[in-house]
Amino acid sequence: MSKEEIITRLAQSVIDGEPEDAVELAKQALDEGLDPLVCINQGLTAGINRVGELFASGEYFLPDLIIGGEAMKAALAVLEPALAGDQERQILGRVVLGTVRGDLHEIGKTLVGTMLTANGFLVTDIGIDKPAADFVSAAREANATLIGASALLTTTMPEQQKIVEELKEAGLRDQVRVMIGGAPITQGWADKIGADGYAEDAISAVALAKQLVGVPV
Amino acid sequence: MPSIKPIRPRFHLEVLSATQREAIKSATLRVLEQTGVKFPSERALRVFAEHGAWVDMATQIVRLPPDLVLEAMGRAPRSYVLTGRAEGTDLTLDGTCSYFGTDGCGTETLDFTTGERRPSCKEDVARMARVVDYLPSVAFYWPMVSAQDCGRLAPLHELDASFNSTAKHVQTETVMGARPAQYALRMGEVIAGDRERMRARPPFSVLICTIAPLGQDKEGIEAGMVYAEAGIPVGFMAMPNMGSTAPAVPGGALVVGNAEVVSALVLMQLVAPGAPVFHSILASVMNPRTAEYIVSTPEKYLCNAAAVHMAHDWGVPSLAGGFGVDAAEPASWQLGRDSVYSALMCTLAGTDMSVGLGMLGASTLLAPEQIIFDDEIYHTHRILAEGIDTSSDGLALDVIAKVGPRGHFLAQKHTRRHIQDLWIPELTHPRQPLDGTPMPGIQPRAKAKLDSILAEHQPQPLEEAAQAELRTILEAAAQELGS
Repeated sequence: MSKEEIITRLAQSVIDGEPEDAVELAKQALDEGLDPLVCINQGLTAGINRVGELFASGEYFLPDLIIGGEAMKAALAVLEPALAGDQERQILGRVVLGTVRGDLHEIGKTLVGTMLTANGFLVTDIGIDKPAADFVSAAREANATLIGASALLTTTMPEQQKIVEELKEAGLRDQVRVMIGGAPITQGWADKIGADGYAEDAISAVALAKQLVGVPV
Repeated sequence: MPSIKPIRPRFHLEVLSATQREAIKSATLRVLEQTGVKFPSERALRVFAEHGAWVDMATQIVRLPPDLVLEAMGRAPRSYVLTGRAEGTDLTLDGTCSYFGTDGCGTETLDFTTGERRPSCKEDVARMARVVDYLPSVAFYWPMVSAQDCGRLAPLHELDASFNSTAKHVQTETVMGARPAQYALRMGEVIAGDRERMRARPPFSVLICTIAPLGQDKEGIEAGMVYAEAGIPVGFMAMPNMGSTAPAVPGGALVVGNAEVVSALVLMQLVAPGAPVFHSILASVMNPRTAEYIVSTPEKYLCNAAAVHMAHDWGVPSLAGGFGVDAAEPASWQLGRDSVYSALMCTLAGTDMSVGLGMLGASTLLAPEQIIFDDEIYHTHRILAEGIDTSSDGLALDVIAKVGPRGHFLAQKHTRRHIQDLWIPELTHPRQPLDGTPMPGIQPRAKAKLDSILAEHQPQPLEEAAQAELRTILEAAAQELGS
C-alpha cells in the first residue's frame, strides 16, 4: 500500500466508523515510516470533517458521528505518542469534562467528549460524581481553557454553580471558560450562575466550545 | 417512483369470536332469504330469476336461498392482482398485506395556492394523482374529488386525469351506469393494451355503493355487471347509518350491510362466475339530535374491523375505510385521534385494502396537505403492525454483552446499522436546521412537502398515443351521453 493510500484509508476508516481498521492503519503508517502528524491532519482530521459534512447534510445519524469519533480517538492513541518532541497536533483548546457530584449520568457527557475530541479539542474526561474542586484542580493540571460540567438532576445543578465560584477562589476564572449542560439546564440557569455558556446537545456543545475559545464556528 | 410500502401485519386484531362471526353470517343469510334486497334493474332481476332466486318483479325485491348464496360466493376468488402501469405497482390481494388508497369523492377543495374553499375540478384530481404517485403509503388511487368542471362526464374525466397522472392502480367510485362503464372499459383497454390483457392485469377496479337499507342502485348494479363480465374487480360498499338506515346497534348494522354487499356480489358471480370481487362495509352513526352523519365513533371503528372478518368469511378480499373522518380542520386533535382509530383498527384486522387518505369533513373536502399528515399516521401503523423482531439480531444479545452495565449503545455498529430502520415521524420530529433558523410550524411543513412533491415528482408519463386515445374515447362518450 502506498503512503497516500494509507492516509486515504485512514480517513475512510473514520468516515466508515471502523475503529479496528483505524488502529491497524495507524500502526501500519508508523511501520512504513509515515509522519504521524501528516496522518492525523490529512487522514483522521480529513475523515472526521467529512463525517461532519455528512451529518450536516442529513445523510449521517448521531451513531455515525460517534463511531467516526471513536475511530479517530482510537487511531490518535496510536499516532500521538509517536509525534516527535517538537511536534504537536493542532488543537483548538484543552477541555476538562465531567458530571458533577451526586450525579451518575454519563452518556451525555461522554458524547460531548467524543464530539469535542473529533472536532480538534483535547479532552480530559474526569468522569462522573465529581466535586467542583476536582474540576478546578484538573483544569489547573491540564492547563485547560474550558470546563464542561454536566448535571442531569435538579438536585445536582447547584454543583455547577460551585465550579464557577471555586474557579474564582482559585484565581482561574479569567483563564477558564465554563460551559454547562444536562436535561434540566437552561440558558437562564447558565446566566444566573455566571457560566459562560449552555449547550442543548453534543452538536451545539461543539459550536459553543469553539465560540468560547474564539475559533470560527 | 418510490416503492409502494404496504402494511404486512405480524399480529391481528379479532373483534369478533368465531361464534359471533358465524352468528352474523347466518343472520345475513336469513335476511337474504326472508327479507330480501331491492334490485331496481330488469337485467339483475332476470339473472336472479334464472338462477333460482325468489324474485318479485313488482316490488323488485329479490330473496336468495342460502344454497344459492353460498354456491355463488364459493366461486369468487380470494386472491387476485390489481395492477398499475409501472413496475412495482402490482397489488396482490392475498391476505398477507394491506394496501391503502386515497379517499373520495369530495366536491370541494381548499385551493392549492390560496387555501380558499372552492368547488373541485379535474385539475385537482390530476394534481393529487401526482402526489399519490410519489407517496409510498398510497398503493392505489381513488380520484379524490369530482371533476365538476367536466359536466355529466365528470366520472370519465376523473378516470382520464388519474390514468394520465399516476402509474399506480386506479379505483373508480364514480363511473356508474352500463353505458359509461363501457367507456371506462375502453379506457382501461388503452392502458392495458387490449381486453384480454386488461382481464389478466386490470389497471383499474371499481367500488360501487349499495343503498341502505337493503337496496341497490340501478346505475351501480348495472355498471357492476358490465365490469364483472370484463374481469374488472368490482367491490360493493354498504354504508349503514346506525339509527337511520340501519338498526341502532353495530351487530344489526353489520347484518344489513352484509346482506346488501353479499347480494350484489352473488349477482356478479351469477353473471360472471369467478369474477374478482371485494366486500366493504363502512358504517356510521346518526347524530341522535340532528340526524347529522357521524363517522368518527367507536361503534363505527368496531364495525370497520368486523367487516374485514366478514369479507374473509365469505372468502373475498376486503376494502375498509380508514381515515376520512369527520373533522373539518387539518392538523387538529380531533383529526389525529379519529384517523388513528379508524385506520389502525382495520389495519390490525388484516384488511386487504383500505381507502381514506387525504380528506376532511367526512370525505367531502380535499385539503391537499392533509395527505401528508395521513401519510405519517399510515407509516406509524405500518411499523406498529409489523411487530417486533425477535431473531438473534433483533434481540441484540452480543451488543448488550459488549456494552455492559452503565455504557451506551451509540458507538456500536449494530446501532449504526439498525438506527436507520427506526422510523422517525418527519412532521413531528423534523431535522432541525443546523444554522439555527427557526423551524416553521407543522402545517407549513406539511404544505412545503406537498409543494415539493408537486414541483419535483414526475410520474411515468402515459404514452402520447394512449393519451390521444383516451381523449378520443371521451369525445365519443360526450357524443353519446352528452356533456
